Amino acid sequence: MIKRWKAIFLGQKAIMICSILIIIFFGAALLAPWIAPHDPIKVNLLQKLKDPSAEHLLGTDHLGRDTLSRLLYGARISLGFATVIFISSLGIGLIIGALAGYMGGWIDSILMRLCEGIMAFPNLVLVLGVVGIFGPGLMQVLLALMLVQWVYYARVCRNMVVSLKQQNFITAARISGSSSWKIIYKHIIPNIQRPIIVIGTLEMGWAIMDISALSFLGLGIQPPHAEWGAMIHEGTSYIRSHPELMIYPGMFILVVVVTFNILGEALSEKYGVKRR
Amino acid sequence: MIGYIGRRIVAIVPIVFIATLITFALIHISPIDPAEAYLTAAHIYPTDELLQQKRHEFGLDRPLLVQYVHTLGNIATLDFGKSYLTNQPVWNEVVSKLPATTELAFWSMLFSALVSIPLGVLAAVYKNSWIDMLSRIIAYLGASIPQFWLGYLLIFFFAVKLDWLPVEGRGDWRNLVLPTMTLSMVLIAVYTRLLRASMLDQLQETYVQYARMRGLRERVIMLKHVLKMAIMPLISGMGINLGKLLTGTIIVEQVFSWPGFGRYFVEAIFNRDIPVIQCYIFFAACLFILCNLLVDLVQLYMDPRISLKGRAKR
Amino acid sequence: MKSFYSKKSVTPIMIVLVAILLVVAGCSSNQNSTTATDNKAVPKSITMSWPRDIGTMNPHTYNPSQLFAQSMMYEPLVSYQSNGKLTPALAKSWDISKDGKVYTFHLRPNVKFSDGTPFNADIVKKNFDAVLKHKDTHSWLGIVGVIDQTEVVDDHTFRLTLTEPYYPVLQDLSVVRPFRFLGAAGFPDNGDTAEGIKEPVGTGPWLLSEYKQDEYAVFKQNPNYWGTLPDVQQVTIKIIPDAETRVAAFEKGDLDLIYGEGVISLDAFNQLRENQEYTTQLSEPVGTRSLLLNSSNPKLADIRVRTALNQGFNKKDMVEGITSGLEEPADSILSKNYPYTNIDLKPVTYNVASSQALLDEAGWKLPAGGTVREKNGEPLEFELIYDKTDPIQKAMAETIQAEWGALGAKVNLSGLELTVQIKRLKANDFDLYFWYNYGAPYDPHSFINVVASPGFGISETLSAVPNKKELDQQIRATLSSTDETKRQELYRSILTTLQEQSAIVPISYIKKTAVYHKNIAQFVFPANRDENPFSGITLNAQ
Repeated sequence: MIKRWKAIFLGQKAIMICSILIIIFFGAALLAPWIAPHDPIKVNLLQKLKDPSAEHLLGTDHLGRDTLSRLLYGARISLGFATVIFISSLGIGLIIGALAGYMGGWIDSILMRLCEGIMAFPNLVLVLGVVGIFGPGLMQVLLALMLVQWVYYARVCRNMVVSLKQQNFITAARISGSSSWKIIYKHIIPNIQRPIIVIGTLEMGWAIMDISALSFLGLGIQPPHAEWGAMIHEGTSYIRSHPELMIYPGMFILVVVVTFNILGEALSEKYGVKRR
Repeated sequence: MIGYIGRRIVAIVPIVFIATLITFALIHISPIDPAEAYLTAAHIYPTDELLQQKRHEFGLDRPLLVQYVHTLGNIATLDFGKSYLTNQPVWNEVVSKLPATTELAFWSMLFSALVSIPLGVLAAVYKNSWIDMLSRIIAYLGASIPQFWLGYLLIFFFAVKLDWLPVEGRGDWRNLVLPTMTLSMVLIAVYTRLLRASMLDQLQETYVQYARMRGLRERVIMLKHVLKMAIMPLISGMGINLGKLLTGTIIVEQVFSWPGFGRYFVEAIFNRDIPVIQCYIFFAACLFILCNLLVDLVQLYMDPRISLKGRAKR
Repeated sequence: MKSFYSKKSVTPIMIVLVAILLVVAGCSSNQNSTTATDNKAVPKSITMSWPRDIGTMNPHTYNPSQLFAQSMMYEPLVSYQSNGKLTPALAKSWDISKDGKVYTFHLRPNVKFSDGTPFNADIVKKNFDAVLKHKDTHSWLGIVGVIDQTEVVDDHTFRLTLTEPYYPVLQDLSVVRPFRFLGAAGFPDNGDTAEGIKEPVGTGPWLLSEYKQDEYAVFKQNPNYWGTLPDVQQVTIKIIPDAETRVAAFEKGDLDLIYGEGVISLDAFNQLRENQEYTTQLSEPVGTRSLLLNSSNPKLADIRVRTALNQGFNKKDMVEGITSGLEEPADSILSKNYPYTNIDLKPVTYNVASSQALLDEAGWKLPAGGTVREKNGEPLEFELIYDKTDPIQKAMAETIQAEWGALGAKVNLSGLELTVQIKRLKANDFDLYFWYNYGAPYDPHSFINVVASPGFGISETLSAVPNKKELDQQIRATLSSTDETKRQELYRSILTTLQEQSAIVPISYIKKTAVYHKNIAQFVFPANRDENPFSGITLNAQ
């Protein structure tokens, strides 16, 4: 029994199940305009705070907007922005990490000290600081999250490059006259794929949490866009009479983030990669 | 050993230096003019003349390097300037808000230690049993549950539905229960897994075999020897996870209207109260670095072998 | 190997660490002593909560003193009653000279301060002079700028001479601060009350008998009170900053009364209203929630656009839907329960077709396939600023955004902190803004004053209104008018112009709420927005 559970949480099965779930999440987010039963920002005060019905499967919020539709559109924002942050911080991290590892010397020290400087801050504190200084808004939130997340990719990439540089086949490639870019493309990228997939999966979960936390504080996306954290915040005004308004979006965040975390852990176990 | 401590402290200096540099750079890249931010926060209509005057007063018309050196000097003397909003010295306000945050952080650490130590030990001793599974589920939940949501769920069940505990605010012990539970969740998750992993590591060690061969009782082996060794990674884990605790207080103080430093920081963000923001970032970085150092020293004290080799970075 | 860990035990370190932290936490936890005031033992007492400490009880200063508490201990010369009627208070009658510049007050005889000293013209002058010493602090109140002289005519006659006629003198004297009267014993040695008072000595019906800062205040009846004492004999104010805690305290029976504006959430109010054990009551409108359409924005300078926006949202459904009846849809900027405002203004009615026609006529056309109207390639787009901590504003902003969006006008929402919001209002840096008037006894004269005076954001909002100059002149004429009929005519004209221009869109009338237990038999809201409600409370016999 326990063995079976373990198999579900770790190992091949977990990877399968979580991957399928994540594809479903992304599918729901992409297809939201077609599968959502209602317009998520359509206000209809005559229909406000309605209980679930055939018309509104999860009921309506304080402005009569369909909760299910808002949750689906919320997935677009959470997953969409998490992906944007993932790709951009990965890009920045790879370039800087490869640069540091490849060049070595003082460039390496400066860049790595910068990474340590950024890592000296607790994540959310730095994000909040950036948002505080540049002002609330979605772009600022994205910028801030990118700013703190590239560091992890950069470190992995740099360490990998440094260790590869000392190995024979790279030297051989260099002697045989391959260009630097070719070496990076042919030898380095395939070697750092695994740690990056692991870090990336875990980072996606963190990014979704951070985006929702910032929206909850009122620093992220502005209304009327549906965002899970912002929906929780709105729902708290009705915690006495309609707690479900606050409960549903939280469940969505929880399920999505748990899936990413289990997948990340399973992958790290499978590839033998240490988590950050 | 003294030399080691000295080296460690010297090594902190550049990190603190970079932390101040990052804060300073952020403020100077930002599109916000501190002089204008000051005037608006103080409800004064910013005329050009006033802006000039304020810029001069803040030293914003001096070369950047001079400004930076000046800032460093001020920070070294705990002078973070005056809050734009209240016109009070930031450090005084911070000192008045810190006790509330410390109180919350302390009880959360204590509570999470009380839960995670037995849970972690049991999970390691009875590996792959239901209790190990439980610890794993708690770990996933703790890492994935949005803290503000958890806070409101607890409010909903314990304050609104059951009416056992107050909803928000700071007062007697009853006010502490829900924020502490909220803040502890993520820590319990981390500590439990950490302790379990390091217990399992220790169980592989040869001294455990010796002890067993000597016929010591399993309970004695576990509690007197294995746990004692296994708890060290937990202590360093506490230091490293201080960041989680700190960001946790920001969110939890917001949810429970807890009058602490985190809430003060969020209010400052809305008001663009730059001296307060700067102070918080700097404070957070220092706290984080100092705690890591403290953890190292505790470890060094307990087992000089490990630490002198250098410690694992996160 | 074993020796390593047996010598250096973890336990002592842990104990020391825990001990240190315990001390820190012990110092930090605030000593919260619960007060043992047994309500049942004292006959005819009530307990109410208030979000903030009552303050220093200085009648001549502002924050942190709370208006309701100041009004319990200190009284005005003239009292403001419902529909703007002014009744004698500490002045039993008054004469106004023909030119409107000299006010002679005949003081009520036999009035004593709570310490037994008599109330007379000398103490009135002493108070006036102490206030006027700091004209800048009080300049927001119109009367402060026009007082020329204060004189003692005889023991019970006080005369006020103005530099120019200013009709709302009596209204300004009825406000809770600063023109209320402190007994001689309360004045500091140098007479400057701005620096603080020695003790709170007033003529009002209440005395502060017990006080613990940030926790509670107990008021008892003033035995020297000149008028009829209230039915309630003792009032306890508990300081509870958080709205939800307040509701919980009320439900537990720790509070008899919740009173004020926005003191509990809508959700909690609805829940309390449905409970048969409590009585909920709403006041007459105390203020108006309006939306400013800033005419200095070129897009909003066109009256057709403003009218179209005004007509283009269903105000009734919005206000009733969002506030569940806590507020009432507003047809005019000022409700009819102020002086001079009981006039019939043509309400703007909800009419989407007419709204769309007006926008077309103004040149804002929907491009093929687009959802946002355009004119000369520019989109019809505005920013609406709202207070992010106010859930009602946020919900209204989202509703307006949705409804105007359907018309083809795009609205972007910016939730801001109150301080940032006010700053942008004053700097005229906004398109659409939620604004509130001051309420009784300040309106209507304070309202028309800000319409004419720059620096409050309202005059700027109206800057592109065609007859703004004329409007300003009318306002000045109104404030210095001495003739009732003429004044009424001027008000009619001013308010009609503002109504027609649609630059200030009235949304809802805000009401005070009172929720109380069955031990309160009757509750009457005070006419003055800032006054305490305790004189209007009748308790059931116990």
